[in-house]
Amino acid sequence: MPIDLNQNLHQTRLKNGLRVMLKEIHTAPVTSTWIWYGIGSRNELPGKTGLSHWVEHMQFKGTQKYSGDDIDDLVSRVGGYANAFTSADWTTYFETMPSAHLRSTLALEADRMVNSRFDPADVETERTVILSEREGSENYPEFRLDESVQQRAFREHTYRNEVLGFREDLIHHTRDDLYGHYHRYYQPSNAILCVAGDINIQAVLEDVEALFGEIPSVPLSPIIPNPENTLEPGERIDMEGPGEAHYLEIAWRCPSASDPDFFAYAIIESLLSGPSSLNMFGSGGISNRTSRLYQALVEEDLAASIFGDLSATIDPGVYKVFATIRPDGDPLAALNAIDEQVRLLCASALSATEIERAIKQASALFAYGSDNITNQGFWMGYASSFADYQWVAEYLPRLRAVTPDQVLNAARKYLRADQRVVGIYRATKPQEAR
Amino acid sequence: MNSSMPDASNILRAVWENGTTLLAYPNLTSPAVYFTGYMQPGAIADSPETRGLASFTTDMLMTGTKQLNFQQLHEKIESIGASLSIGTGHLATTFFGQCLREDLETLWSLLVEIVREPAFAEKHFKRVRSQILTSIAIQNQDSTEMASQAFNRALYNAHPYAHPSIGYAQTVSALQISQLETFHATHYGPSGLVMAVCGGIEPERAREAFANTLGAWQNQRQAAQGELPPFTPPQKAIREHIPLDGKNQTDLVIGVPAPKTISRDFQVCSLGNAILGKYGMMGRIGKAVREKAGLAYEVSSHLGTGIGPTAWTVAAGVNPDNLDKAIALLCAELSRFRDEPVTAQELQDVKTQALGRLPLSLETNAGIASILVSIERYGYGLDHLRQLPAIIESVRIEEIQAAVRRYWEMDKLIITSAGKALV
Repeated sequence: MPIDLNQNLHQTRLKNGLRVMLKEIHTAPVTSTWIWYGIGSRNELPGKTGLSHWVEHMQFKGTQKYSGDDIDDLVSRVGGYANAFTSADWTTYFETMPSAHLRSTLALEADRMVNSRFDPADVETERTVILSEREGSENYPEFRLDESVQQRAFREHTYRNEVLGFREDLIHHTRDDLYGHYHRYYQPSNAILCVAGDINIQAVLEDVEALFGEIPSVPLSPIIPNPENTLEPGERIDMEGPGEAHYLEIAWRCPSASDPDFFAYAIIESLLSGPSSLNMFGSGGISNRTSRLYQALVEEDLAASIFGDLSATIDPGVYKVFATIRPDGDPLAALNAIDEQVRLLCASALSATEIERAIKQASALFAYGSDNITNQGFWMGYASSFADYQWVAEYLPRLRAVTPDQVLNAARKYLRADQRVVGIYRATKPQEAR
Repeated sequence: MNSSMPDASNILRAVWENGTTLLAYPNLTSPAVYFTGYMQPGAIADSPETRGLASFTTDMLMTGTKQLNFQQLHEKIESIGASLSIGTGHLATTFFGQCLREDLETLWSLLVEIVREPAFAEKHFKRVRSQILTSIAIQNQDSTEMASQAFNRALYNAHPYAHPSIGYAQTVSALQISQLETFHATHYGPSGLVMAVCGGIEPERAREAFANTLGAWQNQRQAAQGELPPFTPPQKAIREHIPLDGKNQTDLVIGVPAPKTISRDFQVCSLGNAILGKYGMMGRIGKAVREKAGLAYEVSSHLGTGIGPTAWTVAAGVNPDNLDKAIALLCAELSRFRDEPVTAQELQDVKTQALGRLPLSLETNAGIASILVSIERYGYGLDHLRQLPAIIESVRIEEIQAAVRRYWEMDKLIITSAGKALV
């Protein structure tokens, strides 16, 4: 039976602009609360990168009412778990808890929407924590390559920004920079509150109105990113450094999530590099060993592994393919093999069977996530952050509506050899094996 | 999810004559099914000259069977949106899979074919070896992995757990396909296989499907799993650093031998560990190293579980210039952990956390299946989840301090790190 994501869903908007999405699921005595803010690295100006992510960290440092320890205790003491994520388009906070404790999480989120302290001493300790987070990522050549490819793919648009922020910016941000960013973007009219799980919708609505209804919204003046130009033909990044494997990354432009082409692109991704899962929490994925690129590269000994990533974004983004090349391998040979597969994809339409297969895989991935209340809470706000909830609720029907010609047209439109960035990281100092 | 808690009244447990065991718990609202389990062999079957043999053999299983080549095998799995994964640890080969409920019997039939009749094709042997060697090469440049491997060498010393299951470049390079075939023929079999399944399938239907697949598997040549050799912990402090080029962060591990998983000490230390490096934002060491000193993004403690010896560790990733400071801070917290009893509030907090997390762990098919596997592996009994609250509630402050003092011997700490060379 198909999963009906609209079942037991209630949506409303408070007078201050806060959007509220509630979904009753009584399969376990658990609730998952998510609050999404329409702020991310997409909204950061040059010299101010990393502010959104840093503000996310500061939201765990406390308000006048809740100390940082109180926030940890509120969730952990009852066995819940909580976390937060920052992306290019959004920042989100969630708590999954035994359902009896829902109101306490709503009260926390209402309070830290406006009352976080941003103590200067906390700002300084968090500066080194975030630098440490970045240094941990920098240990991996793949991160350094991807950061460079992303900047080359977007010369104008703020999708070029690294979510963690660039190191030079992180060193210079002040407490006022952070607090100003928080004050500007953390407000009801820029937020979506989502609760899924073992709830009574009417009772939760009353709590939400009481806790959030009086928080004022101030006029929002969001930073609108510059549109991106076409890429120069032959965009290429060559890096080298210590390591024992080479890496190849290719980034092609892709449409925004709300563009009708996106669903044809999802079929392309499934076919070329394997399907992406929309599940955020522990519900597994599907391997990609029958994908065209795995067959052409791994099965032909040109790469040790390959995977792709198509992200749903507000503005047109990128579809990336990453290959790990063994130490005696040649990244250019792998690149040629990828080019050949793209050429074949653009040469003739897919069969209906291939599209049906992609739909079956997507259906299974949804089924795996549907027993997880945390995922269901995630899906509501996630899709609403770059499109609307119907984007995820109607994902499968919209995939089914894609025709072979639409896939062919999308492949020819986006997977162009002159409209991509190629990045190669070559390992230079192989060490003697242990 | 089924509204009742999994217990002896609703978990189906069936044992077959071939030595396999099935545990099944229904979640009939789910359109999907998740299964996981373990079987012989593990990497302890490797000799010093063949390190990586068990793991290499397992990796070959997914490259095709005598009836299905690589493409045909994976087409059958991926075309129905299913997943199936097999891997090797020190003591066992583990597996898990997921599919829509109507495809379960198809997937189990494939699993049997994969473990019973692998093809061991020459071209895949070469390819998989190349992939393993690439993985080892990447691991050798990974600061987290290198600090962890150095720790295991120091702690386990002559014990087989000192070595990574994946093996070493020179041992994997020397393996022949005939060794893998022989290893498979004499070690893989139904005896000792345990499978747990949860999802949209009636337990009786799962029993029937299992009986027709894994329950019918026979291998008269299957050798008995070898005994684990005795483990002798080091009797002195050890400090080792692995220098790696081009690293902006140094990874650090500090640890000692852990209590046996099947012991009262383990239950006691689990709560102690939550206080040390888990509760809230990574417990006491999170507060000291991350929140107050701002030295690390990642810092936490881990109490190992397993049938054999395991470790109790704290780990952090820090800027190379802060390595000594981080070690000093962590050692100070460990000394405090030994010298001062945990507070009543701390113990109460981690108790209510453990009790409250129980329903959350039962939220998904995968969560329940994993618990069922642990129940079988450690012999907890089918009413374990009902008994667990009383066990948690019974732990006392003095017990924690006594256990911490027994295990965290400060003059026998093992400290390893990997990253920028020390000056």
